[in-house]
Amino acid sequence: MDFYYGLAQIIGVHTLLGLSAYILLLTGQVSLAQAGFFAIGAYVAGMLTVLTGWPLLPALAVGGLVGAAVACAVGFPALRVRGLMLVIATLAFGEGVRLFFFNFDYQIARGDLRVGPLGGEGFRQIRYFPENGWTTLEVMLFIWAIVATVMAVLWWFDRSRYGAVLRAVGEDEVAAQSVGINLTAVKVSAMTIGGAIAGIGGGLYAHYTTHIEHTSFNILVATFALAYPIVGGLASVFGTLAAVVFVQGFLIEGLRFLGDWRNLLFGALIVLAMNLRPHGLIDARVLARLARAFGGGRRA
Amino acid sequence: MLELHQVSRHFGGVRAVDALSLAVGEGEIVGLIGPNGSGKSTTVNLVSGLFPLTSGRILFRGQDLASVPVHRRLGLGIARTFQNIRLFGHLTVWQNLWVAQNSPEDRARRGFLARWLGGSAGVRREIGELLEFAGLAPKQDELAANLAFGEQRRLELARALATRPKLLLLDEPAAGMNSEEIGQLRERILKLRGRGVTILLVEHVMELVMGVTDRIAVLNFGQKIAEGTPAAIQADPAVRKAYLGGEATS
Amino acid sequence: MFDLLQSILDGVMFGATYALIGIGFTLVFGVMHKINMAYAAASVGGAYGGLLVLVAFKGAPAWAVFLGACLAGGILGYVVYLACFHFIPLGSPLATLMSTVGMLLLIDEVIVHSTDGMPQNYPAMFDDVMLQVGELSIRGDLLLIFGASVACMAALLALLYRTRLGLATRAVSQQPVAAQLCGIRVAQVNIATFVITGVLGGLAGALIGASVGALSPLLTVPLTVKGLIVTVIGGLGSIPGAIIAGLLVGGFENLFQQFRGVTERDLYVMLLLFVFLVFRPGGIFASGAGRD
Repeated sequence: MDFYYGLAQIIGVHTLLGLSAYILLLTGQVSLAQAGFFAIGAYVAGMLTVLTGWPLLPALAVGGLVGAAVACAVGFPALRVRGLMLVIATLAFGEGVRLFFFNFDYQIARGDLRVGPLGGEGFRQIRYFPENGWTTLEVMLFIWAIVATVMAVLWWFDRSRYGAVLRAVGEDEVAAQSVGINLTAVKVSAMTIGGAIAGIGGGLYAHYTTHIEHTSFNILVATFALAYPIVGGLASVFGTLAAVVFVQGFLIEGLRFLGDWRNLLFGALIVLAMNLRPHGLIDARVLARLARAFGGGRRA
Repeated sequence: MLELHQVSRHFGGVRAVDALSLAVGEGEIVGLIGPNGSGKSTTVNLVSGLFPLTSGRILFRGQDLASVPVHRRLGLGIARTFQNIRLFGHLTVWQNLWVAQNSPEDRARRGFLARWLGGSAGVRREIGELLEFAGLAPKQDELAANLAFGEQRRLELARALATRPKLLLLDEPAAGMNSEEIGQLRERILKLRGRGVTILLVEHVMELVMGVTDRIAVLNFGQKIAEGTPAAIQADPAVRKAYLGGEATS
Repeated sequence: MFDLLQSILDGVMFGATYALIGIGFTLVFGVMHKINMAYAAASVGGAYGGLLVLVAFKGAPAWAVFLGACLAGGILGYVVYLACFHFIPLGSPLATLMSTVGMLLLIDEVIVHSTDGMPQNYPAMFDDVMLQVGELSIRGDLLLIFGASVACMAALLALLYRTRLGLATRAVSQQPVAAQLCGIRVAQVNIATFVITGVLGGLAGALIGASVGALSPLLTVPLTVKGLIVTVIGGLGSIPGAIIAGLLVGGFENLFQQFRGVTERDLYVMLLLFVFLVFRPGGIFASGAGRD
């Protein structure tokens, strides 16, 4: 049972990662930087609980806030570049964050142990959960409570004017400007919210794995973040969730017997998925059909 | 209300608009016509802010628009439609109107959170009115991309109206319409004037222009070659030459 | 002082390989208006492919390996085209982008699996030759890299501007629909673009392996990032831009390394990118704009 709880934890945190890229994709911004904000949230939350003894919830909140702040700062120069250039810039930023943590040392003594991030070796002993007697089940439920909250908030955004404005910007910036939408405000706000979500996800990640290092936030993770909403489809938050379940659950764990070859399969799977369903697993048509099946039409 | 003073827009060597001066008074319906490539759409883009001026000034209600970004011109009261419809295809009809409610009146009336995250009876009523005006009420939940062409044009117009403009720039709204639709469009434009909206109508379709405007300006190669009442323009030989060509000239 | 100059000189010559990678990215962008994120990985893959020559013929000369790398690179280029560009509809840029990233990961993993993650030694040419110009010494193998790269760039430019294929390529990059209506087989042009850039990439990968002495799968991501940085600094779609930017990045890289060491070096290269993005987003010679 513990195995499934662990899997559910991974799915939960990866959903947050995917959602942070999802909200950006709605505005048409393709970002490979989400792993960077994820990393920042992870290190900040971890350092707060380990080095200064903060309780978990405030530490996570600050991790999210710092992620949001950095994302906001990145958001403004990101506006100067469009489309593919943004992909490159965010890729470089993400790699930059990883390199930063690769060089980052901050240790203090705790008894006769030294704790804290240590460059290439990473940040070990993030033992908040074990030290406070959390079971795997409790950790999983905690993670999912947060995931459910974030999904509910994004779902609410999607039905609100904000969500429609995000998508309008993503579809046609010229038209959006011409009806009075402030592109800068919308895009930076999306980037900031995405940074917050990734930061919170990172904080959760740091605590359930208890050991993070720079390789945990590499281009593969950045790709995951982007792949989930694209493969899942941008019609709704559930697309991202479906993609995470599909990739992590079915592929990586269900095919565990493939051992080392799982990563190979991930790349191949993305290529295949994009060829077969370029608009994602859950695109607008599937969503409409699901909505009809569950009664009620599309929200006006 | 709108004044163009010696406005020019050059793209490299091409003078899309050349020293154009034009005034549109409050409550007027002014037409802007000319052969293809004469600079009509460029003029609309200049007034709405999508293109920067090469030289000249544009004043809206006395204010120089030079440093006002596109989305803020709306706040001043300028709205436009697009020649090749630019609807938000993946949004519903309702959402297309909803995202356009960005006028200062809307901002003043509702708080920040209410405007972005809440819905309200007031909003529903206003959008309902716009839908009625455009005849699109039964289609409010339809994706804009799925509408028929005529319906899309009506939505384009309604969306511009959702911004509560004082000046409306219509960029070839009648293109591709049949006589009946043109008649309906004419009625709508007149109704708008009745509500106090000033209109600059860029158009090719003479049936509409001659029947609805107070004054017409004629462009050719970016320059204004004539201005006057519809009757005067129809009789003007320079206009005829621009459209139909005269005797062999250089 | 001369240490610095030496280091910059070495960097600039090595930067010719970055220029080749940058050209590959920029050429595909120019023709298809898409970025092939798998390009650098395919180049490294091509270099590994060259090693197969050694597997088949033990003791083969280095140039045979380089040739094999070119061949492997070309084949990989075609494979990437098929997997990511041929079937996916043009109207889905996100899907194409994602599939090239998937390809990048796939190639990476294939390399790791076939070599058990161990770095592979790479043959070099002229690595024992050293020319002296005044106080500065020019490494023979770096000179080869520089020379080979320059030769390739010249050949590519000749191809683009003096052959029918090049003409067709330039036509497709400007107006794909019109080009099709004129009878140009767009698919063929695209395939040719991928194969040719694949060959260039394979050579670049081989040259990098030769100068470093070994190939490792850890190369792929940093090379992708650097190649993209070169492309962006040079201006998306501009080949001369990619050339100059490649040399620039190579030189700066060594400069940063002199001052701040290897681990921080890449951070500063990235900073260089951001400086360009803020002050000159169009690159040195801006060509097309971004995807929008």
